[in-house]
Amino acid sequence: MSLAASPAVAAGGTVTGDGSPGPSGPLSRPGPQRVRSVSGAVSVIGAAVIWIALLGPVIALLTHLSWNAIRSSLTAPGALDPLVVSVESGAVTLAVLFGLGTPLAWMMARGRLPFPRVWEAGVLCSLLLPPLVIGLLLIFMVGPYTPIGEMLGHLNLSASNTFLALCIAEVYESAPYYVLSAQAAFSGVDPRLEQQAQLLGDRPLRAFRRVTLPLATPGLAMGLSVAWARAMGAFGAVIIIAYHPFGIPLQIYTTLQETGLASALPFALVLLVVALPLPLAAYVWSARAGRRLRG
Amino acid sequence: MLDADFEVDRRDFTVRAAVRVPPGERLALFGPSGAGKTTLLEAIAGLVTPRRGRIVLGGRVLTSTELRQAVPPWQRRVGLLRQNPGLFPHLSVRANLSYGRPATEPELTELAELLGVGDLLTVMPARLSGGQAHRVALGRLLLAHCDALLLDEPFTGLDASLRRALTNLVVSLVVARDVPAVLVTHELADAQAFADRLAILDRGQMLQVGPPGEVVLRPVSQRVAELVGYLGFVPVQCVSPGAGPTSPVPGDTVPGDTAGAVTAGIHPERTLAGAHPGRGLVLTGAVTASRPAGAGWEADVRVAETVITCRLPDQPPAGGEFVVTVLDPPYFGPDGAALPAEPCRPEQVRQ
Repeated sequence: MSLAASPAVAAGGTVTGDGSPGPSGPLSRPGPQRVRSVSGAVSVIGAAVIWIALLGPVIALLTHLSWNAIRSSLTAPGALDPLVVSVESGAVTLAVLFGLGTPLAWMMARGRLPFPRVWEAGVLCSLLLPPLVIGLLLIFMVGPYTPIGEMLGHLNLSASNTFLALCIAEVYESAPYYVLSAQAAFSGVDPRLEQQAQLLGDRPLRAFRRVTLPLATPGLAMGLSVAWARAMGAFGAVIIIAYHPFGIPLQIYTTLQETGLASALPFALVLLVVALPLPLAAYVWSARAGRRLRG
Repeated sequence: MLDADFEVDRRDFTVRAAVRVPPGERLALFGPSGAGKTTLLEAIAGLVTPRRGRIVLGGRVLTSTELRQAVPPWQRRVGLLRQNPGLFPHLSVRANLSYGRPATEPELTELAELLGVGDLLTVMPARLSGGQAHRVALGRLLLAHCDALLLDEPFTGLDASLRRALTNLVVSLVVARDVPAVLVTHELADAQAFADRLAILDRGQMLQVGPPGEVVLRPVSQRVAELVGYLGFVPVQCVSPGAGPTSPVPGDTVPGDTAGAVTAGIHPERTLAGAHPGRGLVLTGAVTASRPAGAGWEADVRVAETVITCRLPDQPPAGGEFVVTVLDPPYFGPDGAALPAEPCRPEQVRQ
């Protein structure tokens, strides 16, 4: 190792011929500790920079808003209709994800499915595909001239520019976040606890309800809240398949297009106010629940 | 009565079990790691499916491959206690205890006091020590009114005195509740402290079943002897006629490579310093190493080509000739099977 490359030298110390730290004065402090403290400080500074950078857009939003602009934008006739649409579609999306995604996540966590990697790849697919592409492909899957679209037509339903289409797009954009979180939550529950519950007389479903579900709930709550935030902000697939009815993201987009940035910012604030509290509350609650389980 | 006779296929071998445990009796399954002990318990609990056989508990057929019948785990009323006590971490001690069956307050309190966890009923499992968690797990099985108790190395990892205390507690509860109990362990002392009968399991085969003392002092084969702690096998020759068809001919000299030889099994704890011809086999060798062991000493003694281990009260002298008496050792024929009783008056093979 060359001296120039030595961590001790880089940290301002010296090294002896055998590479050990020098003996005297400030140089007598052990080299590796000195390096650790410097690297620790660098890490903290780096983390702070990233944290501030990630919060930057929110800070920018708050500093560029004026109360007058908020009041005039939100009090216009029908201004809050997109909020109602977003909240309703988000609630439907969460219900669908919880009802269908939870069993899938449990089976994936317990290895109950054949070819598990294939199932995981299927869940990851909608995470990896750009939302805009998902929207395009959804037209080919549930559009009015597809078998599914025709079947929906027989039921007087349509998956194009309807509330149903909005829900479908939101499910596709948010499902992987919930399913993968729920899978991780179930994987964290020792299967031997389920076995123990069964040996104590519980049928599998009852053991799931009394043991697995309570223990996985913090993780499920986190998954649901992240999925909620994704559903609230779903845009790429939505703009293709469900331009109408307007949710908040499309309201922001059209306001931006029609009247400019200043008018769109209040709706961005509304989106944050609606989307963020649930994840933050779930985070705080799951952290407390985790501490309780750990004693 | 737990009556089980079945075979379970594992990836590496088949576990064959035949056990009958009357109510109130304790059977210990002893064997090395990976011998199939846990598989056997899991088959009784209904967690793995036997390829063939029948498991009956208290007259109820739990598994019968012939009848194509398999009672699910939640209907078996079989309690399984593992090394990890498996308390439900989101429930208090009280809720854990009454998980299997809602108990009345006096019943719950009485059992908790008996188990020594009376003042911990409102505590969450994460706050319990290892011993307390095991007591609660045991209480949970007892309150659930299990018809059989299966213990899968439940106290491994706990200190010796706590292990002994918990073992004694389980024994007294099993006797009081009159349920059959099966303990799986790879600690012979635990098995002996617990069981009425000891079964030796190796690679899925039950090699010997009997009272613990008999199994340890009269192993039926050299493999069983190895498993129960015999650390040396010394070739012997006969100097007087013996009984039985496998007895060596008097005066035979055992070949140096010991092929076809009769051997004596040497258990370290069955040795005495000095010659006591009336009490067993007298061996002469040289001490090659010694070290403190418990309240005494453990010495390696080279006898002919074999090194045996002896537990002695005093440190043996290093080097020179050392005489040791092995108390009533078991003898094994060339095929490794135990010879019936003492085959002859044996004597150490001299080079």
